[in-house]
Amino acid sequence: MIIRMKWFISNLIVLFCFPVLLFAENDPSASTRYDKRAEKYSSHWQKLIPRYYKGQFAGSIGVVSAGVGWNYYRDHWETDLLMGIVPKASDKHAMATLTLKQNYYPWKIKFGEKVSFEPLSCGVFVNTLLDGDFWGKQPDKYPDGYYWFSTRIRSHIFIGERITLHLNEKKSWHRSISFFYELSTCDLYLLHKIGDHYLKPKDYLSLAFGIKLQVL
Amino acid sequence: MFKQISSILFLILFTSCSLIEYHPYDGRLTIDERDLNNRHMALIEAATQEKDTIRFVWTGDTHKDYDETVDFVNHINNQILPIDFVMHGGDFTEYGLTKEFEWKVSILSKLKIPYVGLLGNHDVIGNGDQVFHTLFGEFDFSFRCGNIKFVCLNTNAIEYDYSEPVPDFDFIRNEIKEAGSHDFTRTIVAMHARPGCEQFNNNVKEFFQYYIKQFPNLLFCLNAHDHQLQAADLFDDGLIYYGCSNIAKRNYMLFTVTPDDYSYEVVYF
Repeated sequence: MIIRMKWFISNLIVLFCFPVLLFAENDPSASTRYDKRAEKYSSHWQKLIPRYYKGQFAGSIGVVSAGVGWNYYRDHWETDLLMGIVPKASDKHAMATLTLKQNYYPWKIKFGEKVSFEPLSCGVFVNTLLDGDFWGKQPDKYPDGYYWFSTRIRSHIFIGERITLHLNEKKSWHRSISFFYELSTCDLYLLHKIGDHYLKPKDYLSLAFGIKLQVL
Repeated sequence: MFKQISSILFLILFTSCSLIEYHPYDGRLTIDERDLNNRHMALIEAATQEKDTIRFVWTGDTHKDYDETVDFVNHINNQILPIDFVMHGGDFTEYGLTKEFEWKVSILSKLKIPYVGLLGNHDVIGNGDQVFHTLFGEFDFSFRCGNIKFVCLNTNAIEYDYSEPVPDFDFIRNEIKEAGSHDFTRTIVAMHARPGCEQFNNNVKEFFQYYIKQFPNLLFCLNAHDHQLQAADLFDDGLIYYGCSNIAKRNYMLFTVTPDDYSYEVVYF
């Protein structure tokens, strides 16, 4: 009985402290089970590793913005997370912004091995100013419904195009490098345009140029 | 193909500088106008120095109404009887966005006569007041028109949380002091939001009224903000506040001030 007890306690210690060891010693089939599980576990988390870097000039989310992103579903979809800088102009200080962007690329035209062209990109992005002078919801000092909109968060829609150069993976740092441009407009500009004849597209459209470096 | 695409890209790059925007609230102005009020006040003062009768337009709250503002500018430019200047009572914008200021100023700058603009509460939103400051100048200002002094005040108190004195009694006191040293004999006080409305610091409205009545021969007050035509003796003391409607209603107030009286009419366009 004492021996059995001892065996049980030592096994418990091994179980809790060195689970790998225990399975490795006692049960060869459980070992592969663990390996499978560990593999699955890391592959799940690996999906969250950003697959590319993106940088952008202008486009209403900062003079420059940069960040990471993920492409998925046969590379038709891309989701970016970008930080941007708005330099000081009339404002008393520069501002930082954060953008979540959803891109959709319906078509890809290939020109040989090296070059491909996406004739249309479209999507939406939501930008928030990281600045205390701007509010998400009107402050309590105002009467109810005084200003219905947020000054901090802007929603945008965009269309654009993109060209991709596929690199030699043995020689280069990245899988591919893409150049894109986009035209976007934001929620409040669209509200200006409703029923208006004066404003022209050049007034309310915003142009951006960008680059994407595909790592994975 | 690549050459074609790159040449198209470069074409877009060079023809599209006006499409570059860093942020809707970036405060970066692409138009050349600066310090509009000071420049226009100098023009008004020079042009009306010898005049005994002046005619000016009181309008405001142009918000998102670009088509109406264009029509207003064309209408004013086609007037046969001379008008000396236009006063815009504030709310150039709806959301305080930088481009809203640019769009509105681009239209108003087509006026053949000078105009001055007051700060409206919508112009303060975001960093709008800082853009307004770059474009127009100080929020409290005054100018002379013959022997009449126009005192233009920022009364958008709720926007400033006591962080700025609104209304600025120091400014008003200095302006009253100046009355002794200059030869203006009459005063008109203009503001965006009038006493009693939700924007005004109503804790001091009686004090405000008392103070502005220290101006020599205060003829009347002008306000915008309420989007309707108004003529009200707010404090039952004989001082009338005239309110213009918003530009969307397609009318403005035309004041005529003669050496010993004044009158106004509402003009529809």
